[in-house]
Amino acid sequence: MKLLALIKKEFHRFFHDPRLIITMLLPGIVIFLLYTVMGEAIHAEPSTYDYKVYVQGEAPAVTSLIEAVVKESKNTVEWLPLEDMDTAKKQVEEGEKTAILTFTENFEELPENSAVSIVYDPMDEAGSEFYAATVAVLERIGMKFSIHSEPLASEEHIGREIMQQILPFIIVCFVFSACMSVTLESVAGEKERGTLSTILVTSAKRSHIALGKIIPLACFSMLGALSSFLGVVLSMPKLMGLSVGMLGGYGFGTYVLLFLLIISFVPLIVALISTISTAARSVKEASAYTSVLMIFVMVLSLVTAFLPAIGNWAVAIPVLNAVVFMQQLLAGALPVWQALVSVGANLLYTAALVLAMTKMLSSEKIMFGK
Amino acid sequence: MSEEIVRAEGLKKTFLLSKKQQKIEKTGETRRIAVNGLSFSAYRGEIYGLLGPNGAGKTTTLRMLSTLIRPDAGDAFICGHSVVKEPAKVRDEIGFMTSELKLEGFFTPDYLFDFFGAMHGVDKNTLQQRKRDLFSKFGIDKFAEVQVKNLSTGMLQKVSLVISIVHDPTVVIFDEPTNGLDVLTAKVVTDFLAELKAMGKSILLSTHIFSLVEKLCDRVGIIFDGKMAAEGPLEEIAKGDLEKSFFDLYYSIKGEMV
Repeated sequence: MKLLALIKKEFHRFFHDPRLIITMLLPGIVIFLLYTVMGEAIHAEPSTYDYKVYVQGEAPAVTSLIEAVVKESKNTVEWLPLEDMDTAKKQVEEGEKTAILTFTENFEELPENSAVSIVYDPMDEAGSEFYAATVAVLERIGMKFSIHSEPLASEEHIGREIMQQILPFIIVCFVFSACMSVTLESVAGEKERGTLSTILVTSAKRSHIALGKIIPLACFSMLGALSSFLGVVLSMPKLMGLSVGMLGGYGFGTYVLLFLLIISFVPLIVALISTISTAARSVKEASAYTSVLMIFVMVLSLVTAFLPAIGNWAVAIPVLNAVVFMQQLLAGALPVWQALVSVGANLLYTAALVLAMTKMLSSEKIMFGK
Repeated sequence: MSEEIVRAEGLKKTFLLSKKQQKIEKTGETRRIAVNGLSFSAYRGEIYGLLGPNGAGKTTTLRMLSTLIRPDAGDAFICGHSVVKEPAKVRDEIGFMTSELKLEGFFTPDYLFDFFGAMHGVDKNTLQQRKRDLFSKFGIDKFAEVQVKNLSTGMLQKVSLVISIVHDPTVVIFDEPTNGLDVLTAKVVTDFLAELKAMGKSILLSTHIFSLVEKLCDRVGIIFDGKMAAEGPLEEIAKGDLEKSFFDLYYSIKGEMV
């Protein structure tokens, strides 16, 4: 009952203060808007392209039509004879040439057996534009043929690589800052103002007082972390010039595991900041300690993001396990045992920190030392 | 003699002196004795006053009795429970009010009363009845939904007092209960202390106001430099004039020390 009353008090405090709710949700909204606007600006359509396209096989009517459509968009196209496919592909990949069009023999005479293949780089704006224009023309002709497009790198693959490298770092940073914003004020603030001592005079168990802080604060932080997470995940494809549908590339299980990780990672960070805040004499002191910790966590997650494979031992290290976990999860290569051990390790560390905070709340030197 | 409710046995408390403090006081001592072997008893239905100048050790003694800090030596028993070995049981028996303990400014008196009631395990019906009685007695009912941060000093002191006794404790410990209050609020508080006594509660209060002790206390303990200089029924200690007796004692001890 006492634990419930302590938890309810924190919820009452949070949900009756609109400023706290806004502070918690705003980062996610701002990130989404900012990244989307940045993405729009970066990937805004340029006015003209000068396409350089290799052509193999004869299809003068089709190429004329493509030329006409391209001209309508104030673009130009230069047709180049294909000599070596490998060299041409390399040039397309490096952005020197736009695409490679290959028509089957007698393309325009034998429509039932006609086929065209398009090689292009979807990450190249010109390549994507040319591909779209060509497909539109071919579809409009009305003759029977098949189109084989060959993107040099799959959009999903590129998206995954980007997400895999950047997302864990961004998520860890946002989770940490979400936890920091509510925990410092609630724990160190209450200690500094003397309101925590008033609760210590009651017969509530110290462990309940510790849990009565950590449980609700973890819930609020989770809200903030999820807001930031959604902001990043939904806006990242825009920022990278990819489609939002790319997110569907991850299965439902991936999102469940990712959620499970956040569930286990948020209380750990909240417990860590709560313990530091209990030990600190003021909000200022707690902020100073937590800022150092945040830099450490950021560096650790950033370095890990760009390191090659780390051994299985990483699952036992907090933060490191979260980043490695997320990387492998997004790469679709996370063994379930690793996921469960990481979540279990995080919960174990959280329990240890709750115990540490309980001890601190019982310590006269920490609570009442000048 | 009535039932012994509070018994302090040789309470001792020392604090570490910081380097800065040692420099200011020009001393090489690393520890300061705040309370030195204090013993006294308080009984059911009486008000016990701890009288002494600033820094004598009154607040430290009350903090030990309320289990906020542990004695370095000695022990104290509240309703038979040791403050050292059974602090949780002691906390259920006491109501402690001191300027050191603050109420969160965001909440209203109404919410805080319910919250601290739950912290002490008071059932809902009893809590609502006590809230009605106490809020009405202290005139808090009109301010029940005003955030604590917006209350006046006097109203805040009344709210703190009411919340400290939300669970109807056997022993009420008040550290300087009338400090900073206007005469009207101070009278409300002193009248209530007398009322609590009439209800059979044991009250321990620390003060340096002679008139308050003379008006309210049955027994008194005078503390100088952490030691009990005199202790007993008010009439025996005051000998007709508490202020004179206090200063006689003070100068006799200080004289001996010099």
